Amino acid sequence: MYPFGRGFSRHMPLALLLLPLLLYLVFAFGPSMATVFFSFTNATGIPGTHWHFIGFDNYHKLLFSSDQAERLRSIRNSLKFAFLVVLIQNALGLLMAVLINRKMKGDAFYRATFFLPVVLGVTVTGLVWRMMLNPMSGPMTSLFKQFGTSSSFLSSYDAAFYWIIFVQIWMYMGYSMTIFLAGLQSIPKDLYDSGYIDGTNAWQSFRYITFPMIAPSLTVNMLLSIIGALQTFDIIYVLTNGGFNTRTLALDVYRDAIANNTTADYGLASAGAMVLFLFVFIFTIIFMYLLRRREVDL
Amino acid sequence: MAESRASVSLRYVLVLLALCVYVLPLFYLFNVSMKTQIEYLKAPNAIFEQLRFNNFGIAWEKGDFSRYIWNSVLYTSVATVASILLSLFAAYPIARRYVRFSNLIYLFFTMSLFLPSPLVPQFWLASELGLYNTQWGYILLRTGGTGIAFLMFVGYIKSVSRELDEAAAMDGCGYLRFIFRILIPLVKPVMATGVMLTAIGVWNDIIGPTIYLSDTKYQPITRGLYAFFGQYLNNWPLLACGIIIITAPLILLYVFIQRYLVSGALAGSVKF
Repeated sequence: MYPFGRGFSRHMPLALLLLPLLLYLVFAFGPSMATVFFSFTNATGIPGTHWHFIGFDNYHKLLFSSDQAERLRSIRNSLKFAFLVVLIQNALGLLMAVLINRKMKGDAFYRATFFLPVVLGVTVTGLVWRMMLNPMSGPMTSLFKQFGTSSSFLSSYDAAFYWIIFVQIWMYMGYSMTIFLAGLQSIPKDLYDSGYIDGTNAWQSFRYITFPMIAPSLTVNMLLSIIGALQTFDIIYVLTNGGFNTRTLALDVYRDAIANNTTADYGLASAGAMVLFLFVFIFTIIFMYLLRRREVDL
Repeated sequence: MAESRASVSLRYVLVLLALCVYVLPLFYLFNVSMKTQIEYLKAPNAIFEQLRFNNFGIAWEKGDFSRYIWNSVLYTSVATVASILLSLFAAYPIARRYVRFSNLIYLFFTMSLFLPSPLVPQFWLASELGLYNTQWGYILLRTGGTGIAFLMFVGYIKSVSRELDEAAAMDGCGYLRFIFRILIPLVKPVMATGVMLTAIGVWNDIIGPTIYLSDTKYQPITRGLYAFFGQYLNNWPLLACGIIIITAPLILLYVFIQRYLVSGALAGSVKF
């Protein structure tokens, strides 16, 4: 029960909660919901123009207009980006967490270093890799030369998108690893001891003790990375700004709404945001179902 | 349980290999920052000839960073302090169920993760409310009590004994005083992580200022660096110095706070 008195002080919790609630309603939840409304109008950034409802025209325009090929590639890119990032980032994050979790010289340093790109932020990470991948004088160019090949990296129509995926994983692997580490540290040691007595080998103890026990961190990591990978576009903005076949749905939403200042098309951008939401929603539901079922089974 | 020698070595090899992928780009960055432009052009990948710390001074001047950095400091400090306070105001009653429908409110707050991108209506709203291209408007947009810090606080406060509230209340401690005098010192480990993650988010934000702050005199240092990149596109030593300058404050903060990281993540990874 609430211990801090009656009368006025009974309402203190709610009174203080109202402030964050209001901010959330006005600047996050409200606008999210309004996106649905905007996606059915012909709203633009041009002041003084009248809006009216135009049904599904924005969705039609998004999928079947003259730049259809590019739009569809954006959608394909979004899915490819999410699939590769989620898979590789979590696999590497889990691997590194398992390796570092055992006693090791300098483990605190490794942990801190793998997390460092998150601290550096998108702008710095992006610019550092633009420097590394600079096709004129960057070190990766020299490295590729050593192996007798060459690439123009971020200015290559075929490879640029994969380099963006690489940088995204480089940036957030440490984040996944940290969440996995937190999960690993909550596993009681004696589980491994009893496993040892039963004669498990390293793989078996990972498969039958570690992996089931970190199910909650896996759920969190999967959900965060799926949502993050689908919605993120700042890394693309910094690395290529959408050039060289690297546009994604999320970047298109930004470009339609804001970047093309003179032709800002709120309706079209909102329709894009809704399509993106549909993907987030479907994948979240599927993964929640799969991961939760696994958690219950054990 | 003993680990074989081969498996220990394999573990070290894998971790050190991964470490190289992280350390080498950062070392390269430092290496380039210590060179002159001519030295860089002659041998871009060679080790620098001598330490040239005055390169930073030159980059600071040329990039006009003094103009941007105070904006960044203002936005980051105000938005972080406000967000952490609001997160605590929201998390404490929800974790303790001192308000009705606590679970529902919690679910409602976490929902924004999944909902459609609010970008367009948010931009429209900010323009209508006169928040566009103002410093306080940007700070307001970056302030919220329902982000990652909120999630971590809820998880952590649930593990703090409820009897503490009752004992304090018995001694005549009020709600607000409890939050400031007792709760805040208790949640310090997650608060450290929360402060760091929130500050990182604001300091490194590039899209927000691009959208909401068109006037260069209001722009933070990320925009400054981005403009600097456009201006000195091939002067990599200068650019490397610029990059190091803008990350230095956060890395300093990180050095002090990183040991709380895993305990913070542990609290934050409670189930949705």
